[in-house]
Amino acid sequence: MDDIIIAILRSGTPLVYVTLAGVIAQRAGIWHLGLEGLMIAGACATILGIVFTQSIVLALLIAVGVCMVVSVLFWFVVEKLKANQIIAGLGLTGLGLGGTTLAIESIFGSQAAVSAPFGLPRIGPLFGSFGNLSILVLLMPFFVLAFWVLLRRTRFGLRLAAAGEHPFAARSVGIEPSRIRLAALVIGGALCALGGAELAAGSLQFFSQNMTAGRGFMAFAAVIFGAGHPVGAALAAMFFAIVGALGIRAQLVFGDRVPHDLLLGLPYIATVIGIWMSARLRGGAKAISGFGELRDN
Amino acid sequence: MTDSLVSIARALVFIVVALVLCAVIFSIAGFSAELMFSAILDGAFLRNGALNHALRWGLPLFITAVGVAISFRAGYFNIGAQGQFYVGAICAAFVAEWTSGAPAFVVIPLCFLAGMIGGALWALWPGLLRLRSGADEVITTLMGNFLAGLLLVYVTSGPLKDQSGSGQQASSRPLDAAYRISNSLGVSPTIIAIAVIVGLSMWLLVNRTSFGMMSGLAGRNPTMVTWQGAKLWKVGLASFIISGALAGLAGTIELMGPNGRLASGFLPAHGFTAILIALVANLSILGSAVAALFFGGLASAALYLPVIAGLPSSAIDIINAAIALFITARSQLIDRIMRFRSRANG
Repeated sequence: MDDIIIAILRSGTPLVYVTLAGVIAQRAGIWHLGLEGLMIAGACATILGIVFTQSIVLALLIAVGVCMVVSVLFWFVVEKLKANQIIAGLGLTGLGLGGTTLAIESIFGSQAAVSAPFGLPRIGPLFGSFGNLSILVLLMPFFVLAFWVLLRRTRFGLRLAAAGEHPFAARSVGIEPSRIRLAALVIGGALCALGGAELAAGSLQFFSQNMTAGRGFMAFAAVIFGAGHPVGAALAAMFFAIVGALGIRAQLVFGDRVPHDLLLGLPYIATVIGIWMSARLRGGAKAISGFGELRDN
Repeated sequence: MTDSLVSIARALVFIVVALVLCAVIFSIAGFSAELMFSAILDGAFLRNGALNHALRWGLPLFITAVGVAISFRAGYFNIGAQGQFYVGAICAAFVAEWTSGAPAFVVIPLCFLAGMIGGALWALWPGLLRLRSGADEVITTLMGNFLAGLLLVYVTSGPLKDQSGSGQQASSRPLDAAYRISNSLGVSPTIIAIAVIVGLSMWLLVNRTSFGMMSGLAGRNPTMVTWQGAKLWKVGLASFIISGALAGLAGTIELMGPNGRLASGFLPAHGFTAILIALVANLSILGSAVAALFFGGLASAALYLPVIAGLPSSAIDIINAAIALFITARSQLIDRIMRFRSRANG
């Protein structure tokens, strides 16, 4: 039983951090499909940081810094240049995937994976068989709680909601929605870096091309599934992780009788079902795409 | 007229901005941007036979892009072209396997039919979820891409596995030469004819039929369509099906033309590039043809870079992604300049 909980925490924690980034962006009025790109940038920067500085603290700072800078670029494109959020987000994801591949190729030649000598600090033998989990796993519930407080109980959270739900009203009381969104995206960038760091340096200690494998998009789905509530979205993310872990468990149980590539698809199927259920429960998607502006008249 | 000039000018300005961003990224990664761009230019447009290469990549991309444009016009963000492309190819490969031995004039049309149906079905379920329950199609079609990718891995390492393969990359048994519609260079009269037929018929559909009219309206103002007495869900579902069928058709062309077999993870950037083509073309069919040639050239450069120039092919992914980042941007500045000019002229 312990090992399955460990597997769930390992795969769920990166997802939760990135989901929180999606939640804060969504509440500020931005549908953030660039999460995947930020996450892989964070993962790559962490591993490269460890390799070159031999310090986990510096590596994390580098990863957070990189993701924050990239988030500012994304903010500029969607907020100042009024680009379509979905397409620009996909572009950001493509830049993250391509950029990390290019970085690895330029530093290590055509290597597919780079491993680091050590990873994030572990939580230690105090926790028994869970001792090998990284410190970010332990911090994860506190982050979720802190986010709930930030979004629901602070002035900033209220402004964020105003900027997201009714930018015009926000502006009329002297809040600049554009600046609030910048703050939301930069905070989100830092969280994506932590998610990426946990993914690459939590238990694996290596980076490989495209290693996020759609987790950023799953986090985006968790935001919708969780109705933009930090706790709900975090639970949705954990649900996807549970389905994934059960799929891996099923491989061990069924062996070759069930094709293992199809079991790997379970989290994606769960995501589709999650989106479908939340649409049924809450009466359909709001128009998130902003289509009127996509095409010139 | 000024409007379309504005949009062309805007597209060009932001493509230049995107290329500047790429130059920054290349320099940070330690490559000379100048060297990189000249190699890409060479590989894409200047070397001998560049047009042939651009056509080989551009024609299937054009077909998928037309489908993307049709669903985007109707206001549905079907970004699952990649998955529909894979499922189309997979269905066509199964039919080719089952009918193997029959004459080519039976097998080839059946494969095309299967490919288009497969692609359409892979677009149908997100379409139904969207139109019946309001489930957001961005996520469902994205998840469909991942699922189709896994399905392709399963098919090429399971039911259709080529046992004689070296095991480097799982792939299906090669198609009989009689069933191929082009050699591995990938440009043949058949493929050109298919692309022309798709282009013409879809241009007519969009510009000369009530469906085209209604779907264009649905993208801008759904309420208006309902008031006009049209069934919004019919228009929507039809655009999902058409876009899926066209992506499936492109998958079938890649299978029966240049590739000749399925390989796990083949052409992973096809769907994304097709979306870019449709957007760069401002969702017009004719514009897509021009843009497809440009992005087809870039796609051929992705093979040229590592082999001839010794540079990483991910440079092309970065260029495409940077263009995606900026292509929907609308700068007030350009609009203002163009408006000022037209006022000055008038």
